[in-house]
Amino acid sequence: MNTTIDRLFANTTKIIALAILLIVAWIFATLLDHSMESLKAFGFDFITESKWAPNLEKFGALPAIYGSVISTFLAMILAVPLAIGVAIFLSELAPAKLKSPVGVSIELLAAIPSVIYGMWGLFYFVPIIRDVFGGIGISMLTAGIVLSIMILPFMAAVTRDAMNTTPDILKESAYALGGTKWDVIKDIVIPYAKAGIIGSFILALGRAIGETMAVTFVMGNVHKISIDLTAPATSIPVTLANEFTEADTDLYYSSLFELSLLLLIISFTIISVAKFYFLRRKRVA
Amino acid sequence: MATIIDITEEKALEVKDFEFTYAGADAPSIKKLTMPIAKNSITALIGPSGCGKTTLLRSFNRMHDLYPGNEYAGEILFKNKNILTSKEDLINLRIQIGMIFQKPTAFPMSIFDNVAYGMRLQGIKNKIELQDRVEKALQDAAIWKEVKDRLKHDANGLSGGQQQRLCIARAVAVEPEVLLFDEPTSALDPISTAGIEELIVELRERVSIIIVTHNMQQAARVSDYTGFMYLGELIELGKTEELFVTPKEKLTEEYITGKFG
Repeated sequence: MNTTIDRLFANTTKIIALAILLIVAWIFATLLDHSMESLKAFGFDFITESKWAPNLEKFGALPAIYGSVISTFLAMILAVPLAIGVAIFLSELAPAKLKSPVGVSIELLAAIPSVIYGMWGLFYFVPIIRDVFGGIGISMLTAGIVLSIMILPFMAAVTRDAMNTTPDILKESAYALGGTKWDVIKDIVIPYAKAGIIGSFILALGRAIGETMAVTFVMGNVHKISIDLTAPATSIPVTLANEFTEADTDLYYSSLFELSLLLLIISFTIISVAKFYFLRRKRVA
Repeated sequence: MATIIDITEEKALEVKDFEFTYAGADAPSIKKLTMPIAKNSITALIGPSGCGKTTLLRSFNRMHDLYPGNEYAGEILFKNKNILTSKEDLINLRIQIGMIFQKPTAFPMSIFDNVAYGMRLQGIKNKIELQDRVEKALQDAAIWKEVKDRLKHDANGLSGGQQQRLCIARAVAVEPEVLLFDEPTSALDPISTAGIEELIVELRERVSIIIVTHNMQQAARVSDYTGFMYLGELIELGKTEELFVTPKEKLTEEYITGKFG
């Protein structure tokens, strides 16, 4: 009797778990199916063509890819040093009284819905960028800054967790050789937690590259590659959010699907690298 | 009521009326402890769990200072100077008084870099000097032959016994005057343990050694002096062969004959 229930339970959970695999495959298949027309029309040129002109039925994804890559890159440059600094403070330097309240606040920040970062960015950062750097304020730079603020709490929290796994006895050993706090952080804590830290950066990168709502407000949806960071730009998710409802031809619609397929592949690749390469369970020393 | 023999030879350290209280604790974990530590000899600290022997050991290099709120009282004299003052240069103190821990603690770096670490902290950059001293330290720790062909390999690839000898090499490399061993073999197999014990005995020529151990046979095998601690007090300090054969205190006798532990 018990074994029947056990088996029933095991099989039910197995089906539910396998359904997840199925859903992933299903999403992929749907995107591929809807992208077919665009794939046939443009082939490989889709990702090298920089002209996006719906009225001419010409679709090139390069500006969107460029915008995704550059805005994410900007976000990472700004967020990585800050995240490391915050994590070092929380795991090694902060007095016990501060550790918990600041740590919890950071986790709360990480839970803010991204649309709120977008709205806040539009009303707070757009005027600042306009006044300080010129341009209209809606730009690649603004998107990079808003993205960096959005991913910072997550990065800091995961980096702190990785640093906290450094055994006390290892740190004490370095102190026992005459190490200072800084020596111990740089030679012991960071190398020990390196894999986890890099893993958290890559996960944050994956989040930034796929982020939609936080940047839709502040990026401008202009399909133009410009090295001027204060110029408006676009990214893959920004294009999707802005144009999906406007897609009036089959080819337009299919091109947007191909963009989303590209985004899915990029995100999968990034997350896979993080998971399999950096976030594997540490072997027990 | 304690029996503490006079040590006629030169002393490496002298503990005088030492008290230690952990942060937030009501009562001190070590009470009015007085104890001489002889130079160039091995002093073992034995006693049941919680007797304060590791707490005492970690006071000699002020390890307790890493955690806020701990309090010292009394004196520990090293080179005729009380090391418990707030003026004490802890970095300098820890270079002179090294420590080996319960578990091997190879740093996440190569074998060579592990041994060179303490020297590099002191600002030694000369490659030839580093190489010479790393080789010498590894020979002193009786591990040179096993690792000489893979000095650039990650130290975490070594076995537990090898890692512990690497830690000893790392500690010896900075030429300390005192080495503190905190149950150095508790995580090791019997063969590795025998190797470490042999090494400790050899090191006595050059450094004064204090070893905390749960293993009374180990204390009897390696040490010249043994101190028996109980509930934060030093009950008896004597020459090892005398303390184990003819203990002066009833408590010591009960402990070494296994009446409690």
